[in-house]
Amino acid sequence: MGTWLEELGVYRRLIGAAVRGQMQYRTSFWIGAFTDTFTLLSEFLPIYFLVLKFGKLQGWSILELALLYGMVRTSWNLVETFCNGFEAFAQILVRGELDRLLLRPRSLLTQIAANNFQLRRLGGVLQSLFVLLIGIVGLQLGALSVAWITLGVLGGTTFFVGILMLGAASQFITLGQTSELQNMLTYGGSTTLTYPVSIYQNWFRRVVTYLIPLAFVNYFPALAALGRVEEAGFPTWLPALSPLVCATVMLLGQLAFTAGLRRYESTGS
Amino acid sequence: MSPPLRAYARYARCAFQRRAAYRLANVTGVLVNFFFFLIHAQVFLAFFGDGGRTVAGWSAHDTVLYFATSEALMMALGVMTAAVGIELSRRVLEGDVVVDLARPVRLWARHLGEAYGDAVYFLLARTVVLYGGACLTFSLVPPLAPRLLLLPLSLVLGTAIGALSIYVAAASAYWLENPRGPVRVVFFATFICGGVVVPLDFYPDGFRSVCELLPFRGAVYTPVALATGKLEGAALLNALAHQLGWTLALMLAAHTIELRGVRRLAALGG
Repeated sequence: MGTWLEELGVYRRLIGAAVRGQMQYRTSFWIGAFTDTFTLLSEFLPIYFLVLKFGKLQGWSILELALLYGMVRTSWNLVETFCNGFEAFAQILVRGELDRLLLRPRSLLTQIAANNFQLRRLGGVLQSLFVLLIGIVGLQLGALSVAWITLGVLGGTTFFVGILMLGAASQFITLGQTSELQNMLTYGGSTTLTYPVSIYQNWFRRVVTYLIPLAFVNYFPALAALGRVEEAGFPTWLPALSPLVCATVMLLGQLAFTAGLRRYESTGS
Repeated sequence: MSPPLRAYARYARCAFQRRAAYRLANVTGVLVNFFFFLIHAQVFLAFFGDGGRTVAGWSAHDTVLYFATSEALMMALGVMTAAVGIELSRRVLEGDVVVDLARPVRLWARHLGEAYGDAVYFLLARTVVLYGGACLTFSLVPPLAPRLLLLPLSLVLGTAIGALSIYVAAASAYWLENPRGPVRVVFFATFICGGVVVPLDFYPDGFRSVCELLPFRGAVYTPVALATGKLEGAALLNALAHQLGWTLALMLAAHTIELRGVRRLAALGG
């Protein structure tokens, strides 16, 4: 427990240093934060326009879609903000920065997570929370539903951390050539989950439920929050598995990353 | 060929070779493009439902074909090159750009040359596979009409608009400390207003007319809709004129910014 707290302290100090550095250039920070929030806000706009043109998406109203979008984007934006180094791990590896991090007497995971922290990214977190809030207030959801949503967002966060670690682990073998594949699971995954999993074709739905358990990130918790689990044809206990499934993905990620690190030989000289 | 033109052609060839060196990256890239195609296609099929209706003059088949084309052409059109823009602005910020500017070529034109080299590579390595795969998966029928002969022209202009708009955004680094903002705005605007996520026809009228004025329509929507067979007659000529106009305007802007930027760089101490 002591070391765990110590690492948290290290993480906080690394983030603090990054924040102080970025706040030296205030104008740039505000331009960055503003454009980030604005550009991300424009992500939800097309969905709104489509619902205007087509009507409900197979029974899902715009508010319910806002709920799905808000949940998955909050998770992903949190991970992108606070674990950026794993997303950019290919660069850390290829540029030889990993050797420098390994030399320091602190946990590698903490150092990578805090690598290149960008304060402006919090704009993205705020934006997704804003859309999520619109969904919650608009649908007049109760406390129990909000609890399900919180659980889903936290689960999604651990899920994406796990995916980033798996992606980072694969870079040890492919030396940066698989970062696009990682993007498919993170950006692609969160795009997939912007819409209810039920709209996808059978084979695709099976892939994102069982093979890559994306459906557990926001779809099942959202169904629970809306009280529609049985209506959608699932047993009522299924959403309760979400945190478990997400935590397993994170554990797998951590194991894979540790295994990858063990076979890391730097440039070998 | 005059010497400078040969130099730009040489840059294009180098860009092609650089892309060709990473084979595995291309394979994973194809998978990613296809994955996004699958999502777009399924979401729109769900929006259309089983009734076989048309919305805004588009059938479900048209829409899926549009996304098959856009994912197949996206890399050739340089939609995903925000990283190139960010690298460019990093060179400006850290001063490395001095080395580039010392060469007897225009940096913006070199950037454009490299974009064409990339485009040729992606047309060979991605477009054919992705378009074929998408057509087979959803039994799509490619539209064959004489006006498709205009597609190469539209692609040449579209690639230029994409590359130059990123260049102009990245060149804000001569003035801003953190130029990622403008580059990201261009990137997202291409997605939303350029027709990557939704064909512009599905937008409400007001928003659509704004998108039609902006350059980003020329970067993606025009060539893709032309290849889908959804642009013809006066609308097609209008779209091509829009592409040509923005290409020239962005060239002028890039040229002006580069000249001013060089002076600004000197003022900063060198």
